Amino acid sequence: MPASTDRAVAVFKVHPAILSVAALGALLLQTFLPLKLPLARLMDFPLLITIYFALLRRDKMLGMALGTGLGLLQDALSHSYIGIFGIAKAIVGYLAASASTRFELESLGARSVLTGGLVLVHDLCLVALQHVLLEAPPRFQPMATASAVLVNVALGLVIFQILDRFRRPA
Amino acid sequence: MFDPNSPDLTRPIEALEHDGPVMPPFVKRHRSFFTLLAIVTAQVLLLSLQITRNNHVRLIRYWAVEAFDPFERSLGGLMNVSSTAYRTYRHLWRADQENQELHIQLVAAQSQIQRLGEQAAETQRLRNLLDFKNQLGFQTLAAEVIASSLGNTSSPGENSNAIFIDKGSDSGLTADLAVITPEGVVGKILAIFPHSAQVLLITDASSGVGVTLAQSRVQGILKGSANGLCDLHYVMNEEVVTRGEAVLTSGLDQVYPKGLPVGTVVTVGDGNIYKTISVKPSADLNRLEMVLVVLKPTAAEQQALNLPLRRQ
Repeated sequence: MPASTDRAVAVFKVHPAILSVAALGALLLQTFLPLKLPLARLMDFPLLITIYFALLRRDKMLGMALGTGLGLLQDALSHSYIGIFGIAKAIVGYLAASASTRFELESLGARSVLTGGLVLVHDLCLVALQHVLLEAPPRFQPMATASAVLVNVALGLVIFQILDRFRRPA
Repeated sequence: MFDPNSPDLTRPIEALEHDGPVMPPFVKRHRSFFTLLAIVTAQVLLLSLQITRNNHVRLIRYWAVEAFDPFERSLGGLMNVSSTAYRTYRHLWRADQENQELHIQLVAAQSQIQRLGEQAAETQRLRNLLDFKNQLGFQTLAAEVIASSLGNTSSPGENSNAIFIDKGSDSGLTADLAVITPEGVVGKILAIFPHSAQVLLITDASSGVGVTLAQSRVQGILKGSANGLCDLHYVMNEEVVTRGEAVLTSGLDQVYPKGLPVGTVVTVGDGNIYKTISVKPSADLNRLEMVLVVLKPTAAEQQALNLPLRRQ
Protein backbone atom coordinates (compact mmCIF):
# COMPACT_ATOMS: atom_id res chain seq x y z
CA MET A 1 0.00 0.00 0.00
CA PRO A 2 1.89 3.12 -1.05
CA ALA A 3 2.08 5.91 1.51
CA SER A 4 2.13 9.48 0.30
CA THR A 5 5.20 11.44 1.34
CA ASP A 6 3.22 14.54 2.17
CA ARG A 7 0.95 12.91 4.67
CA ALA A 8 1.64 11.98 8.30
CA VAL A 9 2.57 8.41 9.03
CA ALA A 10 2.37 6.65 12.34
CA VAL A 11 5.63 6.31 14.23
CA PHE A 12 5.87 4.07 17.22
CA LYS A 13 8.34 3.62 20.01
CA VAL A 14 9.24 0.99 22.51
CA HIS A 15 10.96 1.15 25.81
CA PRO A 16 14.74 0.94 25.37
CA ALA A 17 14.80 -2.07 27.64
CA ILE A 18 12.51 -3.91 25.24
CA LEU A 19 14.85 -3.17 22.37
CA SER A 20 17.83 -4.26 24.42
CA VAL A 21 16.21 -7.47 25.54
CA ALA A 22 15.00 -8.21 22.03
CA ALA A 23 18.46 -7.65 20.52
CA LEU A 24 20.20 -9.67 23.20
CA GLY A 25 17.66 -12.43 23.01
CA ALA A 26 18.01 -12.57 19.23
CA LEU A 27 21.77 -12.93 19.50
CA LEU A 28 21.48 -15.63 22.14
CA LEU A 29 18.93 -17.56 20.16
CA GLN A 30 21.03 -17.20 17.01
CA THR A 31 24.00 -18.59 18.86
CA PHE A 32 22.52 -21.47 20.78
CA LEU A 33 19.33 -22.52 19.05
CA PRO A 34 21.02 -24.05 15.96
CA LEU A 35 22.82 -26.43 18.30
CA LYS A 36 19.52 -27.89 19.45
CA LEU A 37 17.32 -27.36 16.42
CA PRO A 38 18.84 -27.89 12.93
CA LEU A 39 16.02 -25.89 11.31
CA ALA A 40 17.21 -22.89 13.30
CA ARG A 41 20.19 -22.65 11.00
CA LEU A 42 17.82 -21.09 8.49
CA MET A 43 16.59 -18.52 11.00
CA ASP A 44 18.18 -15.14 11.44
CA PHE A 45 16.86 -13.55 14.62
CA PRO A 46 19.08 -10.44 14.53
CA LEU A 47 17.92 -9.79 10.97
CA LEU A 48 14.26 -9.93 12.00
CA ILE A 49 14.90 -7.62 14.95
CA THR A 50 16.64 -5.17 12.63
CA ILE A 51 13.77 -5.24 10.17
CA TYR A 52 11.14 -4.83 12.86
CA PHE A 53 12.66 -1.82 14.57
CA ALA A 54 13.59 -0.15 11.29
CA LEU A 55 9.96 -0.47 10.22
CA LEU A 56 8.76 0.63 13.61
CA ARG A 57 10.77 3.83 13.79
CA ARG A 58 10.87 4.53 10.03
CA ASP A 59 14.34 5.93 10.58
CA LYS A 60 17.12 5.03 8.14
CA MET A 61 19.88 6.03 10.52
CA LEU A 62 18.42 3.93 13.27
CA GLY A 63 17.93 1.01 10.89
CA MET A 64 21.51 1.21 9.72
CA ALA A 65 22.89 1.58 13.25
CA LEU A 66 20.84 -1.30 14.60
CA GLY A 67 21.69 -3.52 11.63
CA THR A 68 25.36 -2.71 11.88
CA GLY A 69 25.48 -3.27 15.64
CA LEU A 70 23.61 -6.56 15.56
CA GLY A 71 25.53 -7.73 12.50
CA LEU A 72 28.93 -7.01 14.07
CA LEU A 73 27.91 -8.77 17.28
CA GLN A 74 26.68 -11.72 15.23
CA ASP A 75 30.03 -11.77 13.41
CA ALA A 76 31.85 -11.59 16.71
CA LEU A 77 29.90 -14.52 18.12
CA SER A 78 30.46 -16.60 15.02
CA HIS A 79 33.68 -17.74 13.44
CA SER A 80 33.13 -15.53 10.44
CA TYR A 81 35.12 -12.42 9.59
CA ILE A 82 33.85 -9.43 11.51
CA GLY A 83 31.95 -7.20 9.14
CA ILE A 84 30.21 -9.65 6.84
CA PHE A 85 26.89 -9.66 8.71
CA GLY A 86 27.49 -6.05 9.73
CA ILE A 87 27.45 -4.90 6.13
CA ALA A 88 24.52 -7.08 5.11
CA LYS A 89 22.36 -6.03 8.04
CA ALA A 90 23.26 -2.35 7.68
CA ILE A 91 21.98 -2.50 4.10
CA VAL A 92 18.86 -4.34 5.19
CA GLY A 93 18.20 -1.82 7.99
CA TYR A 94 18.56 1.04 5.52
CA LEU A 95 16.25 -0.58 2.96
CA ALA A 96 13.68 -1.48 5.61
CA ALA A 97 13.54 2.07 6.94
CA SER A 98 13.36 3.42 3.39
CA ALA A 99 10.47 1.09 2.56
CA SER A 100 8.64 2.01 5.75
CA THR A 101 8.51 5.64 4.71
CA ARG A 102 6.87 4.73 1.40
CA PHE A 103 4.56 1.88 2.20
CA GLU A 104 1.95 1.14 4.79
CA LEU A 105 3.34 -1.96 6.45
CA GLU A 106 0.86 -2.62 9.23
CA SER A 107 -0.80 -5.48 7.40
CA LEU A 108 0.59 -8.99 7.68
CA GLY A 109 0.77 -9.37 3.95
CA ALA A 110 2.87 -6.28 3.44
CA ARG A 111 5.12 -7.22 6.32
CA SER A 112 5.52 -10.73 4.93
CA VAL A 113 6.43 -9.54 1.48
CA LEU A 114 8.83 -6.94 2.76
CA THR A 115 10.41 -9.36 5.23
CA GLY A 116 10.82 -11.97 2.54
CA GLY A 117 12.38 -9.45 0.20
CA LEU A 118 14.78 -8.20 2.84
CA VAL A 119 15.79 -11.73 3.83
CA LEU A 120 16.53 -12.39 0.17
CA VAL A 121 18.54 -9.18 -0.07
CA HIS A 122 20.45 -10.15 3.08
CA ASP A 123 21.27 -13.56 1.64
CA LEU A 124 22.39 -12.06 -1.67
CA CYS A 125 24.57 -9.58 0.17
CA LEU A 126 26.27 -12.38 2.07
CA VAL A 127 26.87 -14.36 -1.12
CA ALA A 128 28.23 -11.28 -2.89
CA LEU A 129 30.52 -10.32 -0.01
CA GLN A 130 31.89 -13.83 0.35
CA HIS A 131 32.47 -14.04 -3.36
CA VAL A 132 34.11 -10.62 -3.69
CA LEU A 133 36.07 -10.44 -0.47
CA LEU A 134 36.77 -14.07 0.28
CA GLU A 135 37.05 -15.13 -3.36
CA ALA A 136 34.64 -17.95 -2.57
CA PRO A 137 32.80 -19.42 -5.53
CA PRO A 138 29.24 -18.07 -5.84
CA ARG A 139 27.15 -20.50 -3.84
CA PHE A 140 23.67 -19.11 -4.34
CA GLN A 141 21.33 -21.99 -3.68
CA PRO A 142 17.77 -21.08 -4.65
CA MET A 143 16.16 -23.80 -2.61
CA ALA A 144 18.08 -22.99 0.52
CA THR A 145 17.40 -19.33 0.02
CA ALA A 146 13.72 -19.92 -0.56
CA SER A 147 13.59 -22.06 2.55
CA ALA A 148 15.34 -19.35 4.55
CA VAL A 149 12.93 -16.77 3.20
CA LEU A 150 9.89 -18.82 4.13
CA VAL A 151 11.20 -19.76 7.54
CA ASN A 152 12.20 -16.22 8.41
CA VAL A 153 8.96 -14.76 7.11
CA ALA A 154 7.03 -17.14 9.27
CA LEU A 155 9.26 -16.50 12.24
CA GLY A 156 9.10 -12.78 11.61
CA LEU A 157 5.31 -12.72 11.68
CA VAL A 158 5.41 -14.33 15.08
CA ILE A 159 8.14 -12.09 16.46
CA PHE A 160 6.56 -8.96 15.03
CA GLN A 161 3.26 -9.85 16.69
CA ILE A 162 4.99 -10.35 19.99
CA LEU A 163 6.92 -7.10 19.77
CA ASP A 164 3.86 -5.18 18.62
CA ARG A 165 2.49 -5.72 22.07
CA PHE A 166 5.26 -3.55 23.53
CA ARG A 167 5.05 -0.67 21.15
CA ARG A 168 3.20 2.53 21.79
CA PRO A 169 2.70 5.66 19.68
CA ALA A 170 5.67 8.01 19.74
CA MET B 1 22.29 0.99 23.22
CA PHE B 2 20.63 3.86 21.49
CA ASP B 3 17.30 5.33 22.40
CA PRO B 4 14.89 4.61 19.58
CA ASN B 5 12.22 6.91 20.98
CA SER B 6 11.52 10.41 19.98
CA PRO B 7 9.02 12.95 21.36
CA ASP B 8 7.11 13.12 18.10
CA LEU B 9 3.89 11.17 17.74
CA THR B 10 3.38 11.82 14.12
CA ARG B 11 5.48 13.89 11.77
CA PRO B 12 5.73 14.53 8.04
CA ILE B 13 7.93 12.23 6.01
CA GLU B 14 10.34 15.12 5.29
CA ALA B 15 10.70 15.65 9.02
CA LEU B 16 12.04 12.11 9.38
CA GLU B 17 15.28 13.31 7.78
CA HIS B 18 17.65 14.65 10.40
CA ASP B 19 18.86 18.17 10.42
CA GLY B 20 22.59 18.36 10.67
CA PRO B 21 25.60 20.51 10.07
CA VAL B 22 25.87 22.58 6.93
CA MET B 23 26.66 20.39 3.95
CA PRO B 24 26.05 20.46 0.21
CA PRO B 25 22.36 20.11 -0.69
CA PHE B 26 22.94 16.86 -2.58
CA VAL B 27 24.77 15.29 0.35
CA LYS B 28 22.20 16.67 2.79
CA ARG B 29 19.34 15.27 0.76
CA HIS B 30 20.94 11.83 0.71
CA ARG B 31 22.68 11.97 4.03
CA SER B 32 21.44 8.60 5.15
CA PHE B 33 22.61 6.99 1.95
CA PHE B 34 26.08 8.45 2.35
CA THR B 35 26.04 7.29 5.95
CA LEU B 36 25.27 3.79 4.71
CA LEU B 37 28.17 4.06 2.29
CA ALA B 38 30.46 5.16 5.10
CA ILE B 39 29.33 2.29 7.32
CA VAL B 40 29.78 -0.26 4.56
CA THR B 41 33.16 1.17 3.63
CA ALA B 42 34.32 1.09 7.22
CA GLN B 43 33.31 -2.52 7.57
CA VAL B 44 34.91 -3.47 4.29
CA LEU B 45 38.13 -1.98 5.60
CA LEU B 46 37.63 -3.91 8.81
CA LEU B 47 37.21 -7.07 6.78
CA SER B 48 40.26 -6.31 4.71
CA LEU B 49 42.29 -6.25 7.90
CA GLN B 50 41.19 -9.76 8.72
CA ILE B 51 41.06 -11.51 5.38
CA THR B 52 44.31 -12.84 3.98
CA ARG B 53 45.23 -13.93 0.50
CA ASN B 54 48.25 -15.44 -1.20
CA ASN B 55 50.42 -16.63 1.67
CA HIS B 56 48.78 -14.71 4.47
CA VAL B 57 48.91 -11.31 2.86
CA ARG B 58 46.19 -9.20 4.42
CA LEU B 59 43.51 -8.07 2.02
CA ILE B 60 43.99 -4.41 2.87
CA ARG B 61 47.66 -4.75 1.99
CA TYR B 62 46.74 -6.64 -1.16
CA TRP B 63 44.35 -3.87 -2.16
CA ALA B 64 46.79 -1.17 -1.20
CA VAL B 65 49.51 -2.78 -3.29
CA GLU B 66 47.12 -3.30 -6.19
CA ALA B 67 45.94 0.30 -5.94
CA PHE B 68 49.41 1.77 -5.68
CA ASP B 69 51.13 -0.63 -8.04
CA PRO B 70 50.34 1.35 -11.24
CA PHE B 71 51.54 4.54 -9.62
CA GLU B 72 54.64 2.84 -8.27
CA ARG B 73 55.31 1.34 -11.68
CA SER B 74 54.85 4.73 -13.30
CA LEU B 75 57.02 6.37 -10.70
CA GLY B 76 59.58 3.61 -11.05
CA GLY B 77 59.54 4.00 -14.81
CA LEU B 78 59.86 7.73 -14.46
CA MET B 79 62.72 7.29 -12.03
CA ASN B 80 64.40 4.85 -14.39
CA VAL B 81 64.01 7.22 -17.31
CA SER B 82 65.27 10.11 -15.22
CA SER B 83 68.13 8.04 -13.87
CA THR B 84 69.05 6.84 -17.34
CA ALA B 85 68.85 10.37 -18.70
CA TYR B 86 70.95 11.66 -15.83
CA ARG B 87 73.51 8.88 -16.26
CA THR B 88 73.61 9.51 -19.98
CA TYR B 89 74.08 13.21 -19.35
CA ARG B 90 76.85 12.48 -16.85
CA HIS B 91 78.54 10.10 -19.24
CA LEU B 92 78.31 12.66 -22.01
CA TRP B 93 79.62 15.33 -19.68
CA ARG B 94 82.47 13.08 -18.59
CA ALA B 95 83.16 12.14 -22.19
CA ASP B 96 83.27 15.81 -23.08
CA GLN B 97 85.59 16.49 -20.16
CA GLU B 98 87.78 13.56 -21.14
CA ASN B 99 87.71 14.72 -24.73
CA GLN B 100 88.93 18.14 -23.68
CA GLU B 101 91.59 16.65 -21.42
CA LEU B 102 92.71 14.24 -24.12
CA HIS B 103 92.79 17.07 -26.62
CA ILE B 104 95.02 19.05 -24.26
CA GLN B 105 97.19 15.98 -23.71
CA LEU B 106 97.32 15.41 -27.46
CA VAL B 107 98.44 18.96 -28.09
CA ALA B 108 101.01 18.63 -25.31
CA ALA B 109 102.18 15.28 -26.69
CA GLN B 110 102.43 16.68 -30.20
CA SER B 111 104.37 19.62 -28.87
CA GLN B 112 106.63 17.30 -26.93
CA ILE B 113 107.13 15.08 -29.97
CA GLN B 114 108.01 18.12 -32.02
CA ARG B 115 110.34 19.35 -29.33
CA LEU B 116 111.96 15.93 -28.99
CA GLY B 117 112.27 15.74 -32.75
CA GLU B 118 113.99 19.07 -32.80
CA GLN B 119 116.22 17.99 -29.95
CA ALA B 120 117.05 14.79 -31.80
CA ALA B 121 117.83 16.74 -34.94
CA GLU B 122 119.90 19.17 -32.97
CA THR B 123 121.69 16.31 -31.28
CA GLN B 124 122.40 14.81 -34.66
CA ARG B 125 123.68 18.11 -35.94
CA LEU B 126 125.85 18.52 -32.88
CA ARG B 127 127.16 15.01 -33.28
CA ASN B 128 127.99 15.68 -36.89
CA LEU B 129 129.61 18.91 -35.86
CA LEU B 130 131.62 17.13 -33.18
CA ASP B 131 132.70 14.45 -35.59
CA PHE B 132 133.71 17.11 -38.05
CA LYS B 133 135.52 19.01 -35.36
CA ASN B 134 137.48 15.92 -34.38
CA GLN B 135 138.53 15.48 -38.00
CA LEU B 136 140.03 18.91 -38.19
CA GLY B 137 143.65 19.50 -37.45
CA PHE B 138 143.08 22.84 -35.81
CA GLN B 139 141.27 24.36 -32.87
CA THR B 140 137.66 25.31 -33.35
CA LEU B 141 134.93 26.67 -31.17
CA ALA B 142 131.28 25.75 -31.63
CA ALA B 143 128.82 28.61 -31.78
CA GLU B 144 125.12 28.98 -32.31
CA VAL B 145 123.60 31.28 -34.87
CA ILE B 146 121.37 33.71 -33.02
CA ALA B 147 120.35 36.30 -35.62
CA SER B 148 120.90 37.73 -39.02
CA SER B 149 122.09 41.25 -39.50
CA LEU B 150 120.38 41.77 -42.80
CA GLY B 151 117.35 40.59 -44.61
CA ASN B 152 113.69 41.18 -44.33
CA THR B 153 112.67 38.11 -42.37
CA SER B 154 113.46 36.76 -38.97
CA SER B 155 114.99 33.62 -40.41
CA PRO B 156 118.70 33.84 -39.93
CA GLY B 157 120.60 34.17 -43.14
CA GLU B 158 117.63 34.32 -45.46
CA ASN B 159 118.22 37.11 -47.95
CA SER B 160 120.97 38.32 -45.71
CA ASN B 161 124.67 38.12 -46.08
CA ALA B 162 125.67 38.29 -42.47
CA ILE B 163 124.70 36.45 -39.29
CA PHE B 164 125.31 36.75 -35.60
CA ILE B 165 126.72 33.97 -33.46
CA ASP B 166 126.52 33.64 -29.69
CA LYS B 167 130.27 33.71 -29.06
CA GLY B 168 132.34 36.85 -28.92
CA SER B 169 135.55 38.25 -27.52
CA ASP B 170 134.79 36.70 -24.12
CA SER B 171 135.21 33.34 -25.77
CA GLY B 172 138.52 34.32 -27.31
CA LEU B 173 137.23 35.18 -30.76
CA THR B 174 138.74 37.87 -32.87
CA ALA B 175 137.99 39.36 -36.26
CA ASP B 176 138.76 37.52 -39.51
CA LEU B 177 138.36 34.09 -38.03
CA ALA B 178 136.91 31.52 -40.44
CA VAL B 179 133.42 30.16 -39.73
CA ILE B 180 132.63 26.75 -41.15
CA THR B 181 130.20 23.85 -40.95
CA PRO B 182 130.67 20.18 -41.82
CA GLU B 183 129.06 20.93 -45.15
CA GLY B 184 131.37 23.77 -46.05
CA VAL B 185 132.65 27.25 -45.47
CA VAL B 186 130.21 29.82 -44.08
CA GLY B 187 132.18 33.03 -43.92
CA LYS B 188 134.44 34.93 -41.59
CA ILE B 189 133.98 37.06 -38.50
CA LEU B 190 133.44 40.63 -39.48
CA ALA B 191 132.85 42.33 -36.17
CA ILE B 192 133.45 41.12 -32.69
CA PHE B 193 131.46 41.89 -29.56
CA PRO B 194 131.88 40.68 -25.98
CA HIS B 195 129.18 38.00 -26.19
CA SER B 196 128.53 37.76 -29.92
CA ALA B 197 130.12 38.19 -33.27
CA GLN B 198 128.97 39.19 -36.71
CA VAL B 199 129.89 36.78 -39.49
CA LEU B 200 130.13 37.90 -43.09
CA LEU B 201 128.84 35.13 -45.33
CA ILE B 202 130.70 34.04 -48.43
CA THR B 203 127.66 35.06 -50.47
CA ASP B 204 128.23 38.70 -49.58
CA ALA B 205 129.61 40.74 -52.41
CA SER B 206 132.32 42.18 -50.21
CA SER B 207 133.59 38.80 -49.12
CA GLY B 208 136.45 37.01 -50.75
CA VAL B 209 137.69 33.47 -50.33
CA GLY B 210 140.77 32.02 -51.89
CA VAL B 211 139.68 28.75 -53.51
CA THR B 212 140.98 25.93 -55.62
CA LEU B 213 139.03 23.75 -58.01
CA ALA B 214 139.28 20.19 -56.76
CA GLN B 215 140.09 18.53 -60.13
CA SER B 216 141.76 21.15 -62.21
CA ARG B 217 143.52 22.69 -59.22
CA VAL B 218 142.89 26.08 -60.74
CA GLN B 219 142.83 28.82 -58.16
CA GLY B 220 140.64 31.85 -57.98
CA ILE B 221 138.80 34.26 -55.75
CA LEU B 222 135.25 33.47 -54.70
CA LYS B 223 132.97 36.41 -54.18
CA GLY B 224 129.34 36.71 -53.29
CA SER B 225 126.61 37.60 -55.73
CA ALA B 226 123.04 38.78 -55.44
CA ASN B 227 121.22 35.53 -56.08
CA GLY B 228 122.61 33.56 -53.14
CA LEU B 229 125.35 32.04 -55.27
CA CYS B 230 129.01 32.94 -55.51
CA ASP B 231 131.08 33.92 -58.49
CA LEU B 232 134.48 32.46 -59.04
CA HIS B 233 136.78 35.17 -60.40
CA TYR B 234 140.11 35.20 -62.11
CA VAL B 235 139.94 31.84 -63.88
CA MET B 236 141.26 32.11 -67.36
CA ASN B 237 139.11 31.13 -70.30
CA GLU B 238 141.56 28.51 -71.38
CA GLU B 239 141.28 26.65 -68.10
CA VAL B 240 139.10 23.58 -68.14
CA VAL B 241 136.38 23.83 -65.57
CA THR B 242 133.58 21.34 -65.50
CA ARG B 243 130.15 21.75 -64.14
CA GLY B 244 129.71 20.02 -60.77
CA GLU B 245 133.36 20.35 -59.88
CA ALA B 246 134.04 20.84 -56.19
CA VAL B 247 135.53 24.08 -54.97
CA LEU B 248 137.89 23.96 -51.95
CA THR B 249 139.62 26.61 -49.92
CA SER B 250 143.18 27.27 -51.06
CA GLY B 251 144.43 28.69 -47.74
CA LEU B 252 146.13 31.53 -49.54
CA ASP B 253 143.86 34.17 -48.00
CA GLN B 254 145.27 33.40 -44.55
CA VAL B 255 141.74 33.17 -43.20
CA TYR B 256 140.32 29.83 -44.25
CA PRO B 257 142.34 26.68 -43.70
CA LYS B 258 143.27 24.86 -46.84
CA GLY B 259 141.11 22.08 -48.23
CA LEU B 260 137.74 22.96 -46.75
CA PRO B 261 134.77 22.45 -49.09
CA VAL B 262 133.30 25.71 -50.30
CA GLY B 263 130.83 24.77 -52.99
CA THR B 264 130.11 23.23 -56.37
CA VAL B 265 130.37 24.72 -59.83
CA VAL B 266 126.88 25.13 -61.23
CA THR B 267 127.49 27.17 -64.39
CA VAL B 268 130.59 27.76 -66.43
CA GLY B 269 130.96 30.26 -69.23
CA ASP B 270 133.68 32.08 -71.09
CA GLY B 271 134.15 35.80 -70.61
CA ASN B 272 136.44 38.32 -72.17
CA ILE B 273 139.48 37.09 -70.38
CA TYR B 274 138.16 35.17 -67.42
CA LYS B 275 135.50 32.57 -67.21
CA THR B 276 132.20 33.38 -65.58
CA ILE B 277 131.71 30.62 -63.07
CA SER B 278 128.86 30.36 -60.61
CA VAL B 279 129.36 28.33 -57.48
CA LYS B 280 126.68 27.09 -55.19
CA PRO B 281 127.87 27.10 -51.56
CA SER B 282 128.09 23.68 -49.98
CA ALA B 283 126.73 24.94 -46.69
CA ASP B 284 123.06 25.83 -46.61
CA LEU B 285 123.53 29.42 -45.59
CA ASN B 286 119.79 29.99 -45.23
CA ARG B 287 119.46 27.31 -42.54
CA LEU B 288 122.44 27.77 -40.35
CA GLU B 289 122.08 26.82 -36.71
CA MET B 290 125.43 25.62 -35.41
CA VAL B 291 128.82 26.62 -36.79
CA LEU B 292 132.43 26.16 -35.93
CA VAL B 293 134.79 29.10 -35.59
CA VAL B 294 138.33 28.27 -36.55
CA LEU B 295 140.62 29.70 -33.88
CA LYS B 296 144.01 31.21 -34.55
CA PRO B 297 146.46 28.37 -34.87
CA THR B 298 149.15 28.03 -32.28
CA ALA B 299 152.80 27.87 -33.34
CA ALA B 300 152.63 24.10 -33.39
CA GLU B 301 149.50 24.17 -35.46
CA GLN B 302 150.86 26.76 -37.85
CA GLN B 303 152.76 24.15 -39.74
CA ALA B 304 149.79 21.82 -39.82
CA LEU B 305 147.76 24.45 -41.60
CA ASN B 306 149.82 23.87 -44.65
CA LEU B 307 148.92 20.18 -44.58
CA PRO B 308 145.79 18.89 -46.23
CA LEU B 309 142.74 18.23 -44.12
CA ARG B 310 142.95 15.00 -42.26
CA ARG B 311 140.44 12.54 -43.52
CA GLN B 312 139.38 9.47 -41.74
